[in-house]
Amino acid sequence: MPPTFEVQDISFSYEAIPAIRGLTLRIDEGDHVALLGANGSGKSTLLRILDALYFPSAGSVKFKGEALTQKHFQQDEFSLNFRRRVALVFQNPDVQLFNPTVFDEVAYGPLQMQWSKEDVMRRVDETLQFMSISHLRDRPPYRLSGGEKKRVALASVLVLDPEVLLLDEPTATLDPKSQSQVVDLIQQWKGTAKTVVTATHQLEIVEDIADRVLVLEAGAVIAEGTPSEILSNSDLLLRANLIHAHRHSHGGIVHSHPHLHGHSHHEHEH
Amino acid sequence: MTGIHFWLAILYLPVCGSKQSVRHTAATASTPSVGNHLALGQETPVELNQNMHIPDGYLSPSTCATLYLCATAGWYAALKHIKRLLATRAIPLISVFAAFSFVVMMFNVPLPGGTTGHAVGVGVAAIVLGPWGSILAISIAIAIQALFFGDGGITTLGANCFNMAIVGSFAAYAVYRLIAAKSNLNSRQRVLAAAVAGYVAINASALVTAVELGIQPSLFHDASGTPLYAPYPLHVAIPAMMIGHLTFAGLAEAVISAGMVSYLQRADLGLLRGVSGLAQTPAPVVAGALVERSPGRLWWAVAFLMLFTPLGILAAGTAWGEWSSADLTNPHTRQRIGIASGNHAPPSSVPLGIQKFSSLWTAPFPGYAPRFIKSPQLGYLLSAMFGVGVLVLASLLSIMAARKWPVKKLGT
Amino acid sequence: MSQHSFVESTIRGFTRAVSKALQAEHAATQPGLLQHLDPRVRVIGIFSLVISVILCRRLEAIAAIFLIAVAIAVASRVSLKSLAKRVWLVVLGFSGVIALPALFLTPGEPLFTAAALHLSVSVQGLRTAALLVLRVETAATLTTVLVLSTAWTHILKALRSLRLPAEVVTMLAMTHRYVFLLIETANQMFESRQSRAVGILSASEQRKMTARTAGVLLSKSIELSHEVYLAMVSRGFRGEVRLLTDFRLRPRDYVGLTAFVFSSCLAAWMGR
Repeated sequence: MPPTFEVQDISFSYEAIPAIRGLTLRIDEGDHVALLGANGSGKSTLLRILDALYFPSAGSVKFKGEALTQKHFQQDEFSLNFRRRVALVFQNPDVQLFNPTVFDEVAYGPLQMQWSKEDVMRRVDETLQFMSISHLRDRPPYRLSGGEKKRVALASVLVLDPEVLLLDEPTATLDPKSQSQVVDLIQQWKGTAKTVVTATHQLEIVEDIADRVLVLEAGAVIAEGTPSEILSNSDLLLRANLIHAHRHSHGGIVHSHPHLHGHSHHEHEH
Repeated sequence: MTGIHFWLAILYLPVCGSKQSVRHTAATASTPSVGNHLALGQETPVELNQNMHIPDGYLSPSTCATLYLCATAGWYAALKHIKRLLATRAIPLISVFAAFSFVVMMFNVPLPGGTTGHAVGVGVAAIVLGPWGSILAISIAIAIQALFFGDGGITTLGANCFNMAIVGSFAAYAVYRLIAAKSNLNSRQRVLAAAVAGYVAINASALVTAVELGIQPSLFHDASGTPLYAPYPLHVAIPAMMIGHLTFAGLAEAVISAGMVSYLQRADLGLLRGVSGLAQTPAPVVAGALVERSPGRLWWAVAFLMLFTPLGILAAGTAWGEWSSADLTNPHTRQRIGIASGNHAPPSSVPLGIQKFSSLWTAPFPGYAPRFIKSPQLGYLLSAMFGVGVLVLASLLSIMAARKWPVKKLGT
Repeated sequence: MSQHSFVESTIRGFTRAVSKALQAEHAATQPGLLQHLDPRVRVIGIFSLVISVILCRRLEAIAAIFLIAVAIAVASRVSLKSLAKRVWLVVLGFSGVIALPALFLTPGEPLFTAAALHLSVSVQGLRTAALLVLRVETAATLTTVLVLSTAWTHILKALRSLRLPAEVVTMLAMTHRYVFLLIETANQMFESRQSRAVGILSASEQRKMTARTAGVLLSKSIELSHEVYLAMVSRGFRGEVRLLTDFRLRPRDYVGLTAFVFSSCLAAWMGR
């Protein structure tokens, strides 16, 4: 069976600024992958390339063995089929929530797929219930909290029951409670056929959401491994700007060591 | 003596017409934030936040209908053009831009002399989106104000969109292209061009608005001579409207347009490259390529429409029989009423300045001119057509001039 | 006038817009006459009354529509106090003031003459001023009652069924949605500028600051629109706008519609 995504040596730039340089990766069905990288490492761009919103200037991207090219996306059937199977949740929920109400938001995807009115209504209600946001049904987006917006954004893609979920910083800027709700949701899909690719710079959620970690730096994959392998390699994390040397003093002894945000607790032997 | 009152009124009207609110009290020293005021049911006094929105009730039904038709033609053409220019990107780009325009209309722009004014944002819209995109964005902003916030009229929505969005966008775009010419994208010339474009656009809109208001009393009055809608004739409406706009509102628009272009030159030059440039950021190709085509015949269609707008109003007026009563259309009868009223009116201000305006038009015609040319309605009509026509002609000429030296591959 | 008053009044304007929208949303959930009718009936009904206001040429007929408007307001639980504050006084302060010189400038039979001032109020002048003010008051009352009793998403859906092209409806919806986001953004910018400003800004600095704020807002808006576009494409948007409409007219809606259209026609006929 062909891999879900097979990316070969792709490059991409905004105007003249390169964002992705010669990146290669492979993601199989059911994989839970974390793309770990600092801001500007190319995570978001890579997700958008995987979602066929951007097309690389060099190299190739294949989804289940089929090349993702602009030409293919000009065909309605190919395009709708891909959009239904692959979903991207944007980092900024205000970008994703462009409809007047929560109901319209969740119904947007199914309507583009040209489902029947009854199917749309039924499926939207199911999804709202599943995400426990039925009470927000008629709310406009400007009256939702940050956590509620995230849940609606997730609902708006889950309604199509996609095979692949691409999540861009799903927990950034959320309060701790909403953050753990989102992590729980991603954990639920472990062991199912759903493929989940999460871009994040938050080391503390990596173990919960992924089986495999790709570390990105300057638009290329610089390391790959299990969460524990990657998280224990502080040289690598320093290089990828995910941690920074932390200088402080204990009893008059100034020292510096790598500092992991989130893993706030550390031991000192002196 | 009545002449003095007349001029006083002209000076008085713009003061109350253009909202130069100086409603600041000591109590507002602490800044109210949007968040603090989200409590439901909280009453805040509402001031009409409008420069030249015509509310319901100022224009006759037939004027409204005619202007709706004209605006619809403009919207239709604009929608077609913008879909061709932006393909599938049109909807989000125009929508978010309209939201931006709506918010900018709420900005208080500080003006010399300690007052503030509101800008419409049509200058910047025309520069960044081009005339077609600007028509749509400004129209949508106006419609949102009218339909969802109840500011501005429903029956006059067509008129307001025609005046501000359509006339304003074309005037702004034409002036900007003419003055900016081939200059570098980050030159001072472009800042100047933006200032003049904003200023001219607002005043062109105000002039058209004044003409629409000014033709009401002569076309729509009852048997006793009572104006049924806006009560002031052209020779009051035009100066009253223009004084406020030639000073405050025009200045506010000029300040915002120039200031924003100067900011964009330093921070986001790409936005000054024109609307097709906005569609060239990395993007998926959805059905339909981005093809730029010259507007061509549509320009002429729009020009035709604008020229004949006043004619439509007049024709509709006839249909409604609003000036059919023979003795009332007769200027001499009206003058007799005027004299009888003790309002001993010198020809300069009474009755309704009809003679003044019609003579303006009959003057160039020698004695053998057909009788109908001397009719006061025709005088109004011609002056209205003249006003709008000059605007359109100027726009067309300058756009053509600008196209003769196409602005391509400009600075960086 | 304080140096930052222009910022303050801008911020106050934002606050008003947001509180207005929230007030409308709240009022829309109250049990009232208009709230019980289908949004399409409400929109068509109020629009037809507004049109009859401008068709009427007699003060009495317009006054009758004004009373109808007040009755609708009361039945729809729109408080008269808020109407007076929001509409009646504002219109009087704007159109009333504009109409004032018409008393003297309109030629006609003199009603009252102050010889010393060479001023005379004509019957025609009084009538035209009254017509203008009453017309504007009535129309503004009607639209405000509609706006205050209908959630804007419902007005939007009604417009959808009034044969407005789907693209236009979508643009209206999206504009309205992002107005709130941009108001918030602009508000934050103004507030942070205000708290950072040290000393008194000169007039030209104030202007520069306002234009710069508008410029930043524009850059952000364009960026936002690109992102929104990608989000739409990602969920299957291909240029075709697809909307869901689920309105069903009930018997009471037909009764309401008939009542609205009948009273509009009657008023227009009586006031012709």
